[in-house]
Amino acid sequence: MIVKPTRRNVLGLMAVLGASLVIVSAGALALGGVHLRLGEVWSGLLGADLHSEVSIIVRQIRLPRIILAALVGAALAVSGTVLQALLRNPLADPYVLGVSSGAALGAIIALWVGGRLAAASPLMAFGGALVTIAWVYLLGRRGGRLASYTLLLAGVITASFLSAIILFILTLLSTRDVRGIAFWLMGDLSVVTDVQLRILGPAVALAIGAIYFFAKDLNVLLLGEQEAAYLGVNVARVEASTFLLASFLTGMAVSVSGAIGYLGLLVPHLGRMIVGSDHRTLLPTAALGGAIVLVISDTLARTIVSPAELPVGAVTALAGAPVFIYLLRRAAG
Amino acid sequence: MGLIVFSSATPLFPRIITDQTGRRVDVPENPKRIISLAPSITETLYALGLGDRIVGDTEYCDYPPEARLKPHVGALLNPSLEKIVALKPDLVLGIAEANRRETADQLDRLGVPLYGLTAHSVEETLNSIEDLGKVLGRGAQAHELVAGLRRRVDAVKQEVEHAPRPKVLFVVWYRPLITAGPHTFIADAIGIAGGISISDDLAGEWPRLSLEDALHRDPDIILFPKSESFSPSLDEFQQLAGWKDFRAVKDHRMYFVPDTINRPSPRLIDAMEEVARVLHSEQKSTARGPESSR
Repeated sequence: MIVKPTRRNVLGLMAVLGASLVIVSAGALALGGVHLRLGEVWSGLLGADLHSEVSIIVRQIRLPRIILAALVGAALAVSGTVLQALLRNPLADPYVLGVSSGAALGAIIALWVGGRLAAASPLMAFGGALVTIAWVYLLGRRGGRLASYTLLLAGVITASFLSAIILFILTLLSTRDVRGIAFWLMGDLSVVTDVQLRILGPAVALAIGAIYFFAKDLNVLLLGEQEAAYLGVNVARVEASTFLLASFLTGMAVSVSGAIGYLGLLVPHLGRMIVGSDHRTLLPTAALGGAIVLVISDTLARTIVSPAELPVGAVTALAGAPVFIYLLRRAAG
Repeated sequence: MGLIVFSSATPLFPRIITDQTGRRVDVPENPKRIISLAPSITETLYALGLGDRIVGDTEYCDYPPEARLKPHVGALLNPSLEKIVALKPDLVLGIAEANRRETADQLDRLGVPLYGLTAHSVEETLNSIEDLGKVLGRGAQAHELVAGLRRRVDAVKQEVEHAPRPKVLFVVWYRPLITAGPHTFIADAIGIAGGISISDDLAGEWPRLSLEDALHRDPDIILFPKSESFSPSLDEFQQLAGWKDFRAVKDHRMYFVPDTINRPSPRLIDAMEEVARVLHSEQKSTARGPESSR
């Protein structure tokens, strides 16, 4: 089933996916380590008593976490969609390209140095993501243009190099810091502050909006860079802008949630199965789809082994790694 | 002659106390609903006669046996925040050596007071027990408990004072070899019990030690904490590559000690006494070992 990218179809699809996101979020709000009846969830969400346990659980624990999952999911899925278009390779993903490792390294350096810098670890994660993507971008350029496979390989090698540095620094850190980072390296949505949500919300929305502006150009880029240039697309400008926006999204996501893998791979792939590869429909589908998938994954992460919690990265990897292998085999065959 | 007692009236407002990790905590005067986030804290609460005030603990809280029956809030590193909130605690207790800083931050955000302890040595363990007693309105009991424990520590110190000090390798995990670093209550307990930890110069709390380095340090005795998760029998090390070359392994100087040596609770002292006994009997048997048969 491929949805044609008419305005009516796109709006209809967005309405369906938006409604799905609301339904999935409502389900996630009702599920958790503590069993709440639907009426309790409702009164906890809308009731006047902000200090009751039910209200704290629903409004201060579950709701912020669901919003965080939706924002991070949208950011990573759109970032993956853009990277796949730029590299004309369905295996591209912020995790595979080393961007997540760069962000993780930034945060870990902040903790290692300690003091005031430790408090700025989200900022350092964002910096790490930007530096890494710039580095991979420079490595992957051949004659002023992006060379798809060189870039992918540069990303994989950079990721493994950065992971080695992370392991080295972990041996120098105190046990107490390492415990926190170990969770974070596997992707963790359990730590969220209101400030983070207030910054993340508009930042993710703006960046996705800006990327949508390039949707048609990304379609043309799929034909190849030369073909796109013949068709009047300013290839260098489109590539640089979308690359930066994608890394901005990844940096924001990783700085608050750690390295959640495979989402940027899994969701665009599912999206293309539904709407094809026209970015005018694929980008919004990936954004909402990413939000839905990560909200579901995180709900599983916090309920499967309740009252303990799984790192959400373990859940996405369980679903994402087989998809990666499937895509790899299909590309090879 | 008269003894004047100033009985201080119980303040009705909450107290702001700086906990052992330096956090400022709003601690109620007489907490009635306590959640413990570590087995050592659960044990200490029971030892202070406060077991009935525990409304929740972790899946790892197994002592005393009735601690297993309490509602669990999850594991040490990732307890469920909503389970904690649902149990309506007026105080949550955590320890820096076992819990995550992020858990404390999140509880702060939710307005749930968390009082944090820390224990890097036997002395700090005793202090944390006494401190906990004071915070929970059981200062006298805690003082008495700790005084008793301190007498036992002193007795051990006295007992081993003139005994030779064997070099000890404490095995936290054997594959890879992880041992206890210098600033841990484990290494400290071994030192008080009359041993010299061979890892006293390493950095970090739980350093990895290469087998060749450990062989070079040539421990007289190897100690393992006896726990359910540690499956191999000591005989298996006789065949294990690398391990079979230890002098201590060849001489069968390997011992299990109670795994309460991993817990900064009153039972840490039990484990320390057992370590002292092991090292002590070892010295005696060494003394009448090959020489006496000659």
